[in-house]
Amino acid sequence: MLSFSAKLRSVSLVAMTIAGLTATQASAVDITLWTLNFDNNAANVALKKVAADFEAANPGSHIEIVQRAVDEHKTALRVAAGSNKGPDIYFSWAGLGLGGEYVKAGLSLPLDKYYTEYKWNDELLPSAAAFADLYPGGKHGTPFTFKGEAVYYNKKLFEQAGIKDEPKTYDELLAAADKLKAAGIPAFTFGGTVNWHVMRLMDVILETKCGADKHDALKSMKVDWTKEPCATDAFTEFAKWAKDYTLQPFMGIDNKQSFSLFTAGRAAMMLEGDWLVGQLDTSGANLDDYGIFPFPTNTDRLYGFAEYNYVSTKSKNPDVAAKFLDYFLSTKVQQDLLGQVSSISVNKNVQYDNLKPLQAEWLDIFKKYGKIYMNGDQAFPLDVTTEYFRVINDVASGSVEPAEAAKQLQTFIASRT
Amino acid sequence: MSLRQTTHDPRVQALILLVPALAIYAVFALYPMLNVVILSFQKWNGLDPHRQFVGLANYSAIFTRDPVFWVAFRNTVIWTLMSLVFPPMVGLLLALSLNQKIFGRNSLRAIFYLPVIIAPIAVATMWKWMYDPFFGLFSQILTSWGLQTWIKDWLGNKDIALYSVFIAYLWQTVGFSMVLFLAGLQNVSQTLVEAARIDGAGRWAVFKHVTLPALRPTITIVLVLSIISSLKAFDIVYGLTGGGPAQSTQMLALWAFTQAMQIFDFGRGAAISVVLLLITMAVVIPYLRWTQKHEETGE
Repeated sequence: MLSFSAKLRSVSLVAMTIAGLTATQASAVDITLWTLNFDNNAANVALKKVAADFEAANPGSHIEIVQRAVDEHKTALRVAAGSNKGPDIYFSWAGLGLGGEYVKAGLSLPLDKYYTEYKWNDELLPSAAAFADLYPGGKHGTPFTFKGEAVYYNKKLFEQAGIKDEPKTYDELLAAADKLKAAGIPAFTFGGTVNWHVMRLMDVILETKCGADKHDALKSMKVDWTKEPCATDAFTEFAKWAKDYTLQPFMGIDNKQSFSLFTAGRAAMMLEGDWLVGQLDTSGANLDDYGIFPFPTNTDRLYGFAEYNYVSTKSKNPDVAAKFLDYFLSTKVQQDLLGQVSSISVNKNVQYDNLKPLQAEWLDIFKKYGKIYMNGDQAFPLDVTTEYFRVINDVASGSVEPAEAAKQLQTFIASRT
Repeated sequence: MSLRQTTHDPRVQALILLVPALAIYAVFALYPMLNVVILSFQKWNGLDPHRQFVGLANYSAIFTRDPVFWVAFRNTVIWTLMSLVFPPMVGLLLALSLNQKIFGRNSLRAIFYLPVIIAPIAVATMWKWMYDPFFGLFSQILTSWGLQTWIKDWLGNKDIALYSVFIAYLWQTVGFSMVLFLAGLQNVSQTLVEAARIDGAGRWAVFKHVTLPALRPTITIVLVLSIISSLKAFDIVYGLTGGGPAQSTQMLALWAFTQAMQIFDFGRGAAISVVLLLITMAVVIPYLRWTQKHEETGE
């Protein structure tokens, strides 16, 4: 039988344990991160490890990662927008399209004070960080990945057509396309069923024909597409590329089929993102057979887009959410994530070893360009993107004249309420 | 009347049995349907906490300013007309053939019915591979026959894409019509058939004057189901073309989904859904009433 003092000690111990547990629970901070279930499983695994490491370094904090497919993620964010529940941090694309819509709806917390507190701009690649400044009312989100898009070319086919150097200007690219055509080689391959694939060609031509400022003004719908001759010129040029320099037929195939045709040597070039290096590698292609160069637009901007993590305005713990983002963006974590989430880090202090030649080329491209121009589907609001796709496809298939295309797009923009 | 007597009343029993199903339908079918009608008069992007009443603005937008709505409308009409003709006709021909005492008819019935149980999205994937203009089955066959010039961009050519998708749809749905017709053929009186033959009727005359009239209830069911199924055509189009190229295979059901779930303009998506609902009712209800009337009068 226990003595009175022993009983007292036992009761005290239990009370202290309960008090301790209660205190732990009271100070525990749960942060929920809603993000995508990435096709690249290494990214999913790496994200969970980052969360676990952060929890270990910050006792009492818990990071819950909820992953969904793209459409489910978008829907979940909308459902959450109408309720008090939702994530502390959410993934979205950067730009005025999808990401901008959530910012406009007041779902994203301006992060200016955290950018200052954690000195994020000292660590981030300027081209990747630039997207945070796109929105009115402050800085929104921090970079998750940054994707650049450029022209991949088949060295053997270039050689076969007598092309010795990578095109540096748009005219040189046109000359190269003519040489390829003369040699019976289609210059580009695209997949038309996924609208955004062919859209890339229109985007880069628009940048070429209109220049940076006019291109931005057109995409932000601040100028009239019918009143800017460069817009019609771009549609005309786009129609020419689609008809004369693209592997036919392409409207009925998707980007994956297009990739197969590229690796099979059926076309000389593809306009793709930096992720294609990994795709080429895993498909068994010899990377030495391929080269890359930015589409020569004669502007000093790189074609690309970014994926961001945003802090929700509904977060009860924005400071901890920002702390987690800071941890995620830190040089050490980004160094560990290299090759898992992305081949190029958004942190400029990350060191690259044993890079494959194409990856090294990408790194040089990222370092060279400080400015970007975005994909049309990231720049436009969703409804305009849908119409942009339709008009582009109509021009590509030859059923709408270039001048009519600009008119149709402008009519749609003007009719928006 | 006591409680015991009340619960023994067949009408009360029927009501009690119906209540759970009614409750589920009210929550998951009637309420959402009503909500869609209300939503069609509102502007909402799914993000704003409040929906804004805009009257008929969504209807005005889809009828007058939407460059895709009338394309989708026309495609839906064409699709419905084709659905009214081809699946029932081919289904009837298959049923008549497989109603004969031929070798392996049960296996053949199963084979023709098999596509019905495959998920439409899987059917779309399969046909997408077959339609591949470079490596697809049809292109390979035409190439092996020396008919390369016949190879088309089956899903990328605006002039033929809708019909290419419809062929995949026909392949998938014809088995369903066939099974219904087979069931109907079992009810054709053999006595009448034999009597007609004794009277000197040929095969066509027997079919026209005995089999076809006996199949009238089945034909009604097949046509009504074909109309409903064609008006809500979605998954196979989504899987094969996504409505492209340049929205040339867009359908009303898919366009409603695109507006609501991809562009997140729920008001316009709802307005298109309401239009589709009205079209369905306008077509199906008069037809059902007409056939009911004819069956009652025995004409």
